[in-house]
Amino acid sequence: MARAQLRIAACAAALLVIALTVAGPASHVTAVPLSLEDAARQEGKVVVYGSLESETMDAIQRAFTQKYGVSIDYWRGASNKVIDRALTEFRAGKPSFDVVLTNRGPMRLLKDEGMFIKYLSPQNANFPASTKDPDNVLSPIYRMALVGILYNTKLVKPEDAPKALEDFLSPKWRGKWVIPDPTQHTTTEQWLRNLEKLYGADWLPLVRKLAETRPIVVESFIPAVQKIISGEALAGITYVKYVRLYGKDGAPLDYVRLPKMLSEGHTAAISARAPHSNAAKLFENFLISREGMQIEADQGEFVTAKGIYPPIKDADKIHAIVFDELTSEEFKKWAAEFRPLFVAK
Amino acid sequence: MKAGLLALPRAGPAARWRSAFPLPAVGLAVVLAFLSLYPTAMLFYGSLTTVPLGHAGKLSFANYVTAYTDPGTFTVLLDSFVFAFGASALSVLLALALAWVTVRTNAPLRSVFELTAIIPNILPPLLIAISWTLLLSPSVGLLNVMLRGIFHVAQGPLNIYSLPGLVFVEGLILTPLAFLIMSGALRNMDPALEESARTAGAGHWQVIRQVTLPLMRPAILAAATLNFVRALESFDTPAIIALPARIELFTTKIFREALAAYPPNYNLAATYGVSLLVVALIFVALYRRFTSRVEAFATITGRGYAPHAIDLGPWRFAGAAVAGAILILIVVLPVGMLFFISILPFYQVPTLETLQHATLVHYTRIFHNDRVYRALLHSLFLAISGASAAMLLASLIAYVTVKTKIAGRGVLEGLTFLPWAFPGTAFAIGLLWAYVNFPLPIYATIWILLIGYVTRFLPYGLRSVTSTIIQIHREMEEAAWTSGAGFLATFRRVLIPLMRPGLVAGWIVLATIFMREFSLSLFLYTPSSEPVGPLLYYLWLDGQAGSVGALGLLISVISAVLIVVARRYGRLDR
Repeated sequence: MARAQLRIAACAAALLVIALTVAGPASHVTAVPLSLEDAARQEGKVVVYGSLESETMDAIQRAFTQKYGVSIDYWRGASNKVIDRALTEFRAGKPSFDVVLTNRGPMRLLKDEGMFIKYLSPQNANFPASTKDPDNVLSPIYRMALVGILYNTKLVKPEDAPKALEDFLSPKWRGKWVIPDPTQHTTTEQWLRNLEKLYGADWLPLVRKLAETRPIVVESFIPAVQKIISGEALAGITYVKYVRLYGKDGAPLDYVRLPKMLSEGHTAAISARAPHSNAAKLFENFLISREGMQIEADQGEFVTAKGIYPPIKDADKIHAIVFDELTSEEFKKWAAEFRPLFVAK
Repeated sequence: MKAGLLALPRAGPAARWRSAFPLPAVGLAVVLAFLSLYPTAMLFYGSLTTVPLGHAGKLSFANYVTAYTDPGTFTVLLDSFVFAFGASALSVLLALALAWVTVRTNAPLRSVFELTAIIPNILPPLLIAISWTLLLSPSVGLLNVMLRGIFHVAQGPLNIYSLPGLVFVEGLILTPLAFLIMSGALRNMDPALEESARTAGAGHWQVIRQVTLPLMRPAILAAATLNFVRALESFDTPAIIALPARIELFTTKIFREALAAYPPNYNLAATYGVSLLVVALIFVALYRRFTSRVEAFATITGRGYAPHAIDLGPWRFAGAAVAGAILILIVVLPVGMLFFISILPFYQVPTLETLQHATLVHYTRIFHNDRVYRALLHSLFLAISGASAAMLLASLIAYVTVKTKIAGRGVLEGLTFLPWAFPGTAFAIGLLWAYVNFPLPIYATIWILLIGYVTRFLPYGLRSVTSTIIQIHREMEEAAWTSGAGFLATFRRVLIPLMRPGLVAGWIVLATIFMREFSLSLFLYTPSSEPVGPLLYYLWLDGQAGSVGALGLLISVISAVLIVVARRYGRLDR
């Protein structure tokens, strides 16, 4: 019996250890900080929710942690998941995140909820006025996410690749291209709606015709590029940056040199209830610094710093047009409009 | 009055113990009622208001009107039924063939085929679905490429992104459970009935058709209903296959409304959840009817003989081939595919050419990733403490319902009946509504996951412990009472050790489920309490297929270790 009790005690101790690890260390008492860096170091970490690809964030984390000794806890989801999670946690009263970073439309929705503090980073001075938030709540737009047509270079010869979006209407592409589900992927929903900027009044008939070609529908841009890499789809709508992000591992990808591409500005902001507010500021400073943007560009990001381009061929020649954002009501309306087109059988 | 009291015999230890007993029983009932009724009520509440999660609002039927005036809802209903029916039928068919070959025939390699019942339990179902997309994708699926080579067709020929594709994968995932039910029934069958038929001149096939199958009918019906409910509520396979197939099922609909839509609509999600719950309740009620008939049909007589093994003659190799093919479909292909995904630099179909670029980088990556490390800790914590808490609760409930005659013990049983039927996605929505404004810090912490796991899977533990407790004779407890032990001491020092085999078996089942739980977790976790189930899904959506493969295999190894340790612990003190 004694042995059994000993074993029970051992199990209980082991569980307690796991429980404590799970619960995290007790909060420490902090001394009066000398500088932002010191204060951030005492906080130890910054918790970031965002839609930036984990691999890119890994590269940022390596540099950031090495420089400041502050670690980054990163949770990544598509932008609709990021806003939902951040909003739900914030409304429930116990947000565990310090920084949110995703595209500007959803970030504005969160800003309107009063979820962020004002913060004027010393880096703001380096950005043109057009990228800045007049209220200084959102960071300046530090990167642009370009949406284009990517194709599998092993299965499609450059001359056979589509030259324009309308080429997908040809029967040879029927069922062979991929697009995220616009009823759940907000960026694709916005992209479709913004086709008006390229096609004028013809945009909606074009979208309808495109849907009739039965594209493969997936959750977001990453599963879309996965399908192109694996060959399940020959081409599709996704971010141009993946040419670099996955191409560097050997994935057979290239992008169609469209005359104009729609793009979306990305910003970051600091939670009004950030558990690590100093680390959050330090992180935002680094993210939008030239050093930070160089790291992002190396991973394929189109950053807004002058003269920094991702190692993607002809990246400097791309003509980007910025998305107009949708309101909550418009999101609802267009999701309902697109549902029978892209999701129904 | 006084005289009357004096006339009573002095209360002995047993009587003392029993008079104190209703208190734990009442306590149990309260705990259970809270765990299962509260989220149920809140699910209904959520479906009957139109305000967001966590706000108080007026009651209205608006969500039901929205849901049932949408013609799409009936397609969802129909597709969900076809999917669940098909998957359940397929699983029963495969399981029946496999069980018959392994239990009743002299086919070679029978013990190898039993792996079909074990391996899939430690493999996250999400990964089985992912593996099958690489095998049966109409354009690049490995099996399709092979079939095209053989039959010289230009396309397909098989397409996983279809209702039959969904049915096929879910059917494979459900087969092990059906196999356990069928092989148990086949093993316990009284061979005298078959012998009599044989002596009366019936051939093998006639015996199977006219004696064995009719005797198996209750087990078949039980397995079919149970798997119907499991398919109806499954979210793993639909999460991977349904969207590209453009099929909407109840679970994907709930996911879309609650999590994937912007802005999310938890009210509509709750409304679909209520519908799913009602359907599941009906079928679980049917299941219980069938299982009670299984007991009525029970032919275990305690006589020490094994059922007659049928000599298949040269056909035994054909039997082994059929069972082997099922083993390949359920274990070899998905595990092999997972392994390939984990060693290829990026997500692609493994070929001789791509395998030249094999790398261990994904393993290095997951071992150096804090998020993976934290998720593993969370899942281990949930598996160990959740399984232990559930088994403790299950043994108390089993004791009260089986061993005592306390009034209202039927209520206890009824309360555990509810989670049986509660589909993970619907239950999760109920839990969110239940705990969002709860005064204790449960919402958005790991505790809501623990509560969800324990409540939802309690019936699994209960089932395993009930079968052991029935066999314990009252003398054992009575000996303890007369020696002066109270209820808790008797329970802890006499009953728990005697129930150990059932407790350990239940613990293993629960710990392996908790280690990879997905449907419930996806709705309930937050990034600071993320377990591995949702992490796998997000890694998948994040394009890190290699890490998904590597982590999936790692989880399987951890589950296997948990099983071995639990079994050893179960054996030592026996």
